[in-house]
Amino acid sequence: METVTLTIDGQPITVAKGRTVLQAAIEAGVSVPYYCYHPGISIDGSCRVCVVKIEKMPKLQTSCSTLCADGMVVSTREPDVVDARAGVFEFLLANHPLDCPVCDKGGECPLQDFSYTFGPADSRMDFPRRVFDGEGVKADVDFGPTLMLNRNRCILCTRCVRFMKEIDDDAQIGIVDRGAGSEIATFQEQGVHSLLSGNLMDVCPVGAILTRDYRFKSRPWDNPTVVDTTCTLCSKGCNTSAWLKAKPEWAKGSRLIRMTPRYNPDVNGYWMCDIGRFNYHWVEGESRLRRPMTRNGDVLEPTAWHDLQPRLRDRLRQARGSSESAASSVQAPPVRFLVSAHASTEELFVLKQLVEGLMGSEGLNAVTLAWTTSDKAQPAGTKFKVSRTNAPNVNGARDLGYQVGAGNEGTPDLSALRSAIESGQTAAVYVLDPGPDGSLGDTSWLIAARQNGTLPLLIVQGAVMTDLASAADFVLAGSAFVEKDALYTNDQGRVQAASRAIAPPGEARDDWSILVALGQSLGLALAYESAIDVRRALAATMPDTPYASADLLVVTRPVAARNWLQASNPSERWKWDFLYQDLPPVKGHSVQMEGISPRAAYIPLKLTE
Amino acid sequence: MTPYAPILTSHVGEPNSYSLDFYVTHQQGYEGLRKALTQEPGDIIDQVKTSGLRGRGGAGFPTGLKWQFVLKDTPNPKYICCNADESEPGTFKDHVLMERNPHLLIEGCAIAAFAIGARVAYIYIRGEFYHVQQILEAEIEKAYAAGFLGKNILGSGFDCDVYVHRGAGAYEAGEETALIESLEGKRAQPRIKPPFPAVAGLYQCPTAVNNVETLCNVPLIVLNGPEWFSGMGPEKNGGPKLYCVSGHVKKPGVYEASMHTTLRELIYDHAGGMLDDRPFKAIIPGGSSVPLLLPEHLDTPASFDDIQKAGSMLGSAGLIVLNDSVCMVWLAMNLLHFYRHESCGKCTPCREGCDWLYKLLARIEGGEGQPKDLDLLFGVSSNIVGKTLCAFGDAAATPVLSTMTLFRAEYEAHVREGRCTLTADWRAAHPVMAAH
Repeated sequence: METVTLTIDGQPITVAKGRTVLQAAIEAGVSVPYYCYHPGISIDGSCRVCVVKIEKMPKLQTSCSTLCADGMVVSTREPDVVDARAGVFEFLLANHPLDCPVCDKGGECPLQDFSYTFGPADSRMDFPRRVFDGEGVKADVDFGPTLMLNRNRCILCTRCVRFMKEIDDDAQIGIVDRGAGSEIATFQEQGVHSLLSGNLMDVCPVGAILTRDYRFKSRPWDNPTVVDTTCTLCSKGCNTSAWLKAKPEWAKGSRLIRMTPRYNPDVNGYWMCDIGRFNYHWVEGESRLRRPMTRNGDVLEPTAWHDLQPRLRDRLRQARGSSESAASSVQAPPVRFLVSAHASTEELFVLKQLVEGLMGSEGLNAVTLAWTTSDKAQPAGTKFKVSRTNAPNVNGARDLGYQVGAGNEGTPDLSALRSAIESGQTAAVYVLDPGPDGSLGDTSWLIAARQNGTLPLLIVQGAVMTDLASAADFVLAGSAFVEKDALYTNDQGRVQAASRAIAPPGEARDDWSILVALGQSLGLALAYESAIDVRRALAATMPDTPYASADLLVVTRPVAARNWLQASNPSERWKWDFLYQDLPPVKGHSVQMEGISPRAAYIPLKLTE
Repeated sequence: MTPYAPILTSHVGEPNSYSLDFYVTHQQGYEGLRKALTQEPGDIIDQVKTSGLRGRGGAGFPTGLKWQFVLKDTPNPKYICCNADESEPGTFKDHVLMERNPHLLIEGCAIAAFAIGARVAYIYIRGEFYHVQQILEAEIEKAYAAGFLGKNILGSGFDCDVYVHRGAGAYEAGEETALIESLEGKRAQPRIKPPFPAVAGLYQCPTAVNNVETLCNVPLIVLNGPEWFSGMGPEKNGGPKLYCVSGHVKKPGVYEASMHTTLRELIYDHAGGMLDDRPFKAIIPGGSSVPLLLPEHLDTPASFDDIQKAGSMLGSAGLIVLNDSVCMVWLAMNLLHFYRHESCGKCTPCREGCDWLYKLLARIEGGEGQPKDLDLLFGVSSNIVGKTLCAFGDAAATPVLSTMTLFRAEYEAHVREGRCTLTADWRAAHPVMAAH
């Protein structure tokens, strides 16, 4: 790699060639503010707060647009730079409403944080602020089905404009009018309609674009913990962060408060789609299964696990036994399994051992994988393509030896299972579906088979009370993806881990443990104590594959946000995790201020006579 | 008055001066192009460099050098963009050239394209110049028909197309990168430099952006030789120059002269002296974006270098003459009304600063100002200068800084006495558009 060496504030810094001075400063932990710059989109050079002094250049330069060169001497702390920067901050705040107490961004707002550090203590602006409220006009407006736009707060960094143009490939956002009257707008006020719209809240450095989902729901300091996890709503496997709201045990409402993308250059970059971002409410929703249930006549009755398990064992034994006298064979197993590709690799691994223990090496023939596909409406040239397959682990199932047909490229084939059930050859169906409602596609035929008696026994292990679950004889409450440490293999074949952010509700259990308990009750020697045990066993049986080191994949736990900014948009967080801390903490000790005298670290107040 | 025979505007008074026939018959029309096509493109650039032709749009950058910077080794096409977005207050010279002598520009475009290796030239014309665009387009058609444009011009094998693109009415579109953006169909907002247009301009291809008057001088240089051109006027300030004299003079208009001509000669000899014979107070020598000059500078030759030495800039040579009736606070407010309206809004200091400056000036001019407003005015202006993406910010702050420096007493009088030193009658006769 070709490198260049430059000096920033007297500190020699070596960076890859082609990096800008701002990027070099961020890498070296030198604090330079910025708004229009975002690592995922093109450089604009318009906000002007990243100005630095570069020797031999007559004017101050914007560091975001200046390429590093060998021998360059950069200063970010000289008085003229400090003054110029403070001047730009005064301009930025001249018309900003400063409604931070009611703004959702307050507390994780780059405009707040940088202004405190670099801005003047006082504004000399004594004219009324520019507002977009007027006759028939509101500053705070609907901005499409997922977003709200507050024009008063906007500082016109145009990150949103560039995101839509460059990443989404549909330039729905533009600026109308010019000069001080410029405002962010969409054509004919129709708002943003995009599968990637949620990213606009992340790129917005102020509270101008907010998602309706998160609006007024929490404050950053009420979200003290965050878990690095993986989205499981399609086969892309975006790396995400699950944000948890702090609340007392007795308080109502969800703990999972939002999902944000987590930077992974190989999978999702800085972004995630709206499906993954907004479709998490089912996890703590009304229809969530909280305890196991057994059928008593027409109703499903809550049952304790220890009561349910022997009854389930007996019914399964009966189902297997009843058909042994008939033409029981490998081709027509009496107990069949319908498994959603939302099942994690660990669950599929345990299930494989279970069916092979019961039916021998051909046991996997009794298992049918199911998932759904849908075409996502996206512009042709989009830089972020959402996968067609609405399940995270088709590839994981294939790697374990399950029959998945064309895999992510195709649709599941349930015809053999359906004809076996509808012809009355099957004594029991065990469904494993830890995904949201609808993960298995159409199940009406299965419900009908159970209700008209063609299928004598239906067991559903899942997370949500689906129509299928309400037709079942046994309902086993499992866990959703944010409630377990689990592996999923995305459409690139990458083995990725989701992490347990919250505990399963009520008496719901980890899905692997339900399968293990079932196996043990049927006399199989499945000795797993924890999820990591399963993962280790899986790793041991699959040497020379990516799974061999799966037990080394980090299992993350909710971590305390080290700084308010960590509870911020993903690009800010990414800097914290990968590019060191380039932002000073709002309060407390700052690593980067070590060794710098307070005089130099603070910008002198500018007094006006 | 120094004897001088106009060259660029020699025939603009004739009724048919715009026509191709007239141009060929009376102005050695397209002889420059014919001569240029027999030479090497590099030779043309050398001649323009030797002539010392400096850009007439405002910055006064040597044109030959600009052409030389245009990237040679590139698989991409190259472009000539003619900046005809003449929007600087006080400037109206390109209008005359395009309306009355369009073929000179067309010929200049063709030669410039040949010199830098382009085969397409775009004339980006100001949105308000609708009738000029119609004349230009009609004359371009005729030039095509006569074989001066199009394929295989004059049998030389050189192809050149000239297109006219009309802007939508934005001062900022006169900034070269904003012009390019607008030409590409985007909002007229400047780009970050570098890369300069010579490397990545129109459609990210090497591009030279030249003013109308600049390109009009090119055929003359090729035809008459660089020495003829540089000999006309002071050193490094050669060639004919158009001056737009406006304001408080008896005969405002476009005057052609050599750059030996002093400001006094331009006002008193060419433009007929001060209106109503009132005393001269100050002059803005280069369009509204440059600092004012005072009576003691009247004997300064109106050349790029001399005006700069005097503390201002020749800019686009729009001389705005002010007599003693002008209130300098009102002047600054009037100009800031323009800049505030025209700021493209891309970068923070200009977007927020121009608006703020205008509000402050309106307050002071309206007699509501406080002493602290003067420091604030100065502080806000200084926060704009040198911090913006393009030169607009500097241009907008200049009227404020310049009037405050030179006429501080008038500002203080407004603040102290709460009123203007000018009469109410005068104000009524010179209304400033209401802010919106």
